Amino acid sequence: MLKPMSVVREAIVADADDEADGAMAKGTAAERANDRVKAGRKILPIIEGLVLLAALLAPLVLQDYLTVFATRVIILALFALSFDLVWGYAGIMSFGQALFFGSAGYGVALLARDLDITNIFLVLPAGTLIGLTFALLLGGFLLLGRHPSSVIFVSLGTLTGSYAADRLARGWYYLGGQNGIPSIAPMSLGGYDFTEGPAFYYLVLGILVVVYLLCRFLVRSQFGLALAGLRENEQRIAFFGYKAQHLKAIIFTIGGAIAGLAGSLYAFHEGFVWPNMVGVVVSTQVVLYVLFGGSGTLIGAVIGAVIVEGVSFWLSDNYRDIWPIILGLLLLLVILFRPLGLISFVLGERERVGSFGAKVKETRNAP
Amino acid sequence: MANAFVAAFEILSFGAIIVLIVLGLGIIASMMGIFNFAQGEFVLLGAYITYLAYAKGLPIWAGMVAAPFVVGALGFVLEALIIRRFYAAPIVAMLGTYALGLIIREAVRGLIGGFYLTVPEPIGGSIDIGAMHISAWRFTIIVITLLVMGLCYLLLSRTSFGLRVRATLENPSLARASGISTPLIYGATFAFGAALAGLAGALIVPVFSLFADLGLRFLIQGFVAVMVGGVGSFIGPVAGAGVIGTLSAALPWVMAPVVADVLVFVLAIVFIKFRPQGLIAGKGV
Repeated sequence: MLKPMSVVREAIVADADDEADGAMAKGTAAERANDRVKAGRKILPIIEGLVLLAALLAPLVLQDYLTVFATRVIILALFALSFDLVWGYAGIMSFGQALFFGSAGYGVALLARDLDITNIFLVLPAGTLIGLTFALLLGGFLLLGRHPSSVIFVSLGTLTGSYAADRLARGWYYLGGQNGIPSIAPMSLGGYDFTEGPAFYYLVLGILVVVYLLCRFLVRSQFGLALAGLRENEQRIAFFGYKAQHLKAIIFTIGGAIAGLAGSLYAFHEGFVWPNMVGVVVSTQVVLYVLFGGSGTLIGAVIGAVIVEGVSFWLSDNYRDIWPIILGLLLLLVILFRPLGLISFVLGERERVGSFGAKVKETRNAP
Repeated sequence: MANAFVAAFEILSFGAIIVLIVLGLGIIASMMGIFNFAQGEFVLLGAYITYLAYAKGLPIWAGMVAAPFVVGALGFVLEALIIRRFYAAPIVAMLGTYALGLIIREAVRGLIGGFYLTVPEPIGGSIDIGAMHISAWRFTIIVITLLVMGLCYLLLSRTSFGLRVRATLENPSLARASGISTPLIYGATFAFGAALAGLAGALIVPVFSLFADLGLRFLIQGFVAVMVGGVGSFIGPVAGAGVIGTLSAALPWVMAPVVADVLVFVLAIVFIKFRPQGLIAGKGV
């Protein structure tokens, strides 16, 4: 059914080369491209390793209240990962990612409140499933159909979905209205309760690492390569015989599931859920993380979440009023001058397109 | 009977407000292909300028007249500096204008604090028709909306400026070849859309009072209205705004407000899914 991947890969890489090396001589272009691939392959694992090391050591050097803060950041990084899959890889602008994050949060909060279910092996799968279901429904509706939907429609549709959910949560008495659901019981495993602190931190970090590795495997597979192709040139991927809309719906659903997992962790960590969690504010927050860090590189999303949250935590003590303004200015600068985010200072663009997987054939560029 | 009349007036007046807000959004979306996330903040700025005039002891009317010009001038500058870079990429344009909106919104929030500031209505009191009373200011808004709508239509369909705008919309390269300065036209169109938002903000601030999230409240409703009406023409978004505004105001009279609130959005998205070109398809006026 599918074309051999090497064909697709060549097509994507050809596109990237046309853009990057248009003016260069063909021979040197091939060499440079391969140099950059090698360099990228060296740099990326180093960055990933450093981030992991820093994350592992953090609770040992941080004070207790900072460990709690770091836990929150790790959960948000997990959330950012879900958005990066959808936007950074498949090029679907999901302005309503918080819908899946928040609805899963509300779901597990209701489980804990009404049914007294806080077992970690029940609530986390439940949250993931809620995110997955909502994403499947919304994504299926927005993305599938006889005619492909325009990017504008998908982005505004997800935005509207998130906004409508926010309004619903605010007005629905069962969900606590404006105040949300306070004092959720802690997540438990047997007799042990996960409360804020190092144990919760390492639990969340472990989950992040597992999900990260799964995502890394996914985006380096044939499927991931086809996704990157969708982002670069959707029509071309469709001409290769892929069902572009199905691919998009699948990755949107996976993204929703990860957002759901993050949302349920967030609900238990904070101990309460409130309407903003499904709304536009959180939806745009996650967009900020990924744009800052660098979309289309998984580690960029994680770094973006850490930097935005870290700097805002640090600045909000002294510059509470002007911090959002600075954030807006920085975001504008990044969009204008560094569209691939901060990570692009150290990582070449090739990392986003087809530099992974099997070695790129050099015959293509030969005269 | 009296109740029905009051309800009809409420619906009409809210519909007029939505139309007023969507006018600028629709013109920018239709004529330039940009969904301007900062539009809500242009509305907010218009409201803020009116408040500023009132706080400084000037007549409120002066603030309301100044608002569209100030916001329009700001729009012109922003277009030349920033928006211009986004024409090729609609998604990047959304993110960029979102960042702009964030800056403006937070700056205004810093200036006014977290308060709800009230501005009195320049025309107070009510109009009495028999036993029924309707707010004079809301009535004025309806009248001004109709006037502005008519003037915009005439501007786009009857003047040479409107002709140039439409030419630039339909075929930019041919327009350039015919000697129309398309960058100038884009700048002027964006400024015009921003000015309309400023006017809308100035007119609605006595009704909703001034707070930092004033614009955000209408932004998504505005986007949905533009999509329902159809991007590409002047009349499409206006029609969409009429429908969305009327529905949002009318449904709470017949069902629980929460359900009505969400239902409007669901209906709108389903409608757009099955009729992507909107109520009124096609380009032009």
